[in-house]
Amino acid sequence: MEIILCPLVIALLKALLGNKINKWIMSVLSIATLGLVIKVYFEKVAALNSGIWQTLFDKPWFSDSIRFTLGFDGVTYLLLLLTSILTPIVISSVSDNRHKFIIPLILVMQSALNGVFMAKDGLMFYILWELALIPIYFITLLYSHKDAYITTIRFFIFTFLGSLAMLASLIYLYLKTGSTSFSYEALINVQLSLKEAILVGGGFLLAFAVKIPLVPFHIWQADTYTNAPAQGSMMLSGVMLKMALYGLIRWYMPLCGESISYFQPAIMVMAVFGVVYGAIIALKQNDMKRLIAYSSLSHVGLITAGLFSLTLSGFEGGMLQMFTHGINVVGLFFVIEIIEYHYKSRDLSQLGGLAKHHKLFTILYFVVVLGSLAAPLTNGFPGELMLLKSIFDYNSLTGIVAGLTIILCAVYMLRMFQLSMLGESEIVMNKIDTVKLMPLFIISAIVVYIGLNPQSLIDVIHPSIQHIMEDIANSKGVLS
Amino acid sequence: MIGLSIIFFSAIIILFTGIQKPEKKSKNLTVFSLLVAALFSLFENLEVINTQTLFAWVPSSMLDFNNFRLSMVALVLFLSAIIIGLMPSSEKKGSDLLGLTLFALCGGIIMLGSNHLVMLFLGIEILSIPLYVLAGSDKKNLFANEAAIKYFLMGAFSTAIFLLGCAFIYGGTGTLIFGEMQLKVGFAAHFGEFPILIKLGVILMSVGMLFKISAVPFHFWSPDVYEGSPNRVTSFMAIIVKICGFVAFAQLMSNFEPMHSWYIKWLIPISGITILLGNIAGMVQKSVKRTLAYSSIAHAGYLILFLLIPYAENAQILFVYSLSYGLSTSVMFYLIDKYSTADNFDFTIFKGIFNSNKLDAMALILAVLSLAGIPATIGFTAKYVLFSKAFEYNQWAVVIGLVGSAISIVYYFKPFKYAFVNENLLTNRESSLFTNILLVLAMLSIVVFGLIPGIIL
Repeated sequence: MEIILCPLVIALLKALLGNKINKWIMSVLSIATLGLVIKVYFEKVAALNSGIWQTLFDKPWFSDSIRFTLGFDGVTYLLLLLTSILTPIVISSVSDNRHKFIIPLILVMQSALNGVFMAKDGLMFYILWELALIPIYFITLLYSHKDAYITTIRFFIFTFLGSLAMLASLIYLYLKTGSTSFSYEALINVQLSLKEAILVGGGFLLAFAVKIPLVPFHIWQADTYTNAPAQGSMMLSGVMLKMALYGLIRWYMPLCGESISYFQPAIMVMAVFGVVYGAIIALKQNDMKRLIAYSSLSHVGLITAGLFSLTLSGFEGGMLQMFTHGINVVGLFFVIEIIEYHYKSRDLSQLGGLAKHHKLFTILYFVVVLGSLAAPLTNGFPGELMLLKSIFDYNSLTGIVAGLTIILCAVYMLRMFQLSMLGESEIVMNKIDTVKLMPLFIISAIVVYIGLNPQSLIDVIHPSIQHIMEDIANSKGVLS
Repeated sequence: MIGLSIIFFSAIIILFTGIQKPEKKSKNLTVFSLLVAALFSLFENLEVINTQTLFAWVPSSMLDFNNFRLSMVALVLFLSAIIIGLMPSSEKKGSDLLGLTLFALCGGIIMLGSNHLVMLFLGIEILSIPLYVLAGSDKKNLFANEAAIKYFLMGAFSTAIFLLGCAFIYGGTGTLIFGEMQLKVGFAAHFGEFPILIKLGVILMSVGMLFKISAVPFHFWSPDVYEGSPNRVTSFMAIIVKICGFVAFAQLMSNFEPMHSWYIKWLIPISGITILLGNIAGMVQKSVKRTLAYSSIAHAGYLILFLLIPYAENAQILFVYSLSYGLSTSVMFYLIDKYSTADNFDFTIFKGIFNSNKLDAMALILAVLSLAGIPATIGFTAKYVLFSKAFEYNQWAVVIGLVGSAISIVYYFKPFKYAFVNENLLTNRESSLFTNILLVLAMLSIVVFGLIPGIIL
């Protein structure tokens, strides 16, 4: 419970004190949540090896059948860790003139996201899922460029429509339990016929596909990322996308396992198409934010495909990649924010030669780029390898097509680095404050650490993943 | 019952003592008496006080306030207190307008408590006639006059149809008392076929009631009337008339429950069309008041979904839904009234509200989120309980409802386009402390019932 309340308390503090505390203090304060997450982990570490989703907190909410239940296991822990590492970094990137409302909004969002990852009750999951959307809507609306209203409302309606479909699915499952409980255990035990499973699962998939986003549902993404302030893009791509991927593993697959084999080919095609499509479009972008948006589309497509291969390495690689993608993409947006703040442009055709101005920045930037393009010994590599292996196991053709991402990703990432950092300098520069690079330094440290030691994360998630896979197998088995 | 008497007597007092005084002086008394009446009804509901001996002379076949009805009465009184308390009262007009509003409210309460078709008809008339006057109370405003005439013609027309329906029902069942009617319809159900007179009667009465709650295809009067009438009257019509009208309609239809599978056959399409048309037409409106009129049409569609659910299971969720709709809509109308000018009802009236008045901006955000049914507001609680219950009886009707909710975001969120612009407000009016306290109370109810719905469920 305190993991959800802590960010809210900090947000309230900021809202009350206003300008009296600056972003660095806020950033340090928000590390408290990270401490809490780790504390809970060490309390529960023995129980986690069983892989069962432990219950941390349980109280009736709407009524006895709709409860406020928080769960905790390896998968949850990894995502909580991601959220609470990223939030201080995102807060520290806020530029000085606009921090009054954006920091509380980020913290409220963190609180809702923590709730989503821990929710063990169907309706609670839905409510927090939706609540996470409200702060990000206001972040994009309040701090984006002038004509961004249409973009934000399109983003909101797309995701809202998806979530409503999920709500309908959840209510259907709830009624199937005999209107007794929304709890995860009750929902997972519901037996559906194939037709029901397709309708119910379709509702879930719509919600998740819009948010991931899979290819036909991605049209909100690039504009929203471009128009949103850097903090909004960071929260969206760093953490919010993970919400949907997490929803796939935790909610869709075990609950509607009967329908997986029906949807699997279509999702595989969509995801793998997204991998290549996103990468090819990213090749041509000149706006750095747009480039990252499309690269993000490509990366999450790969993760989705890996998850839908339904193999152990797919799941573990997917989880690992969710974590590393969150870290890397926030690192990239952080770099863009610094460049845009100091050089007043993020257009690749205008930038160039920045490497001469600041050595440390160049090195850190390059580490993050390497992480994104999955160079060995960086954090992107193990996850991507496992994902590609699992996709290859599913079908060698999809494996080969998805494998193109290795080349394409290297091309567009290095092109971005080259065009922005190398060559002759023409731009008037402002000096980059080294203190500002602290968060980026932390990110690069994580990139290298996980690259060298991915097993430490896999050990954490392994029992939970196996447990979830058993649930999925049970759910699928009902039919056959 | 005691609430009804308090309101009736305070209406007479305000009407006669205040006829020379400006509205402003009687406003506090009105709000006070409304709150007292709401409190007494609540006590009666919780059986803290017992008034049965006091009102033993009222035959229960005419008016009967059971627990559910009492809680609805308390709710309606509380919402009226918020509406009248929030809206500023003019210096120039006399207090008779407040008296008339209270009389209309009496009609609404009679509708809620009626156990007899004639009582129901009387309730409708007592509710409507003061409203015809109130709609045109802005005598110099041409639109208000148009609204009044339109409302009068439509209202008279619909009550006539309703009366015709009553006559058919009397022909079919031989009684006008709800309880006996239910028995007769139950008998008919045993013989398999319902007499055509009863069917016709139900259809005609439904048409009359659907006119009152402005469901499609009987909605066309409401945007014009809502736009033309003075703001307080509009918000009274949108909230109190709709709630009273619908609850009375649901109670009436509960007598024909054996015909449930027959009448939902045409009520579900009406609900679906109402939701879709209300929301889609709402998207293209320029005036805030008109938008809210279409929003209230859409809400009428959601309300009709209650008829899918057997009446016995309805009570709690109907209460929650009415509370949610009433609170959020009254806050919206308060803001519209505060920031609009005589000739400007565009969404631009909210330009810069976040910059100039934080409290009102928060109220706007909460009201909009609640109307759209976003979690953590009472609007979500209400929509959730309605949809999850109705889902048991008809999935596709609920899916249309969900689609409608998604469409409605387009127009509910329009104020946000202007609210955060870094400018100052076009019209900046100060609110009194009393108004602000009421506003905070309404905002708190929106949030608290959204976060901890256990209290009212």
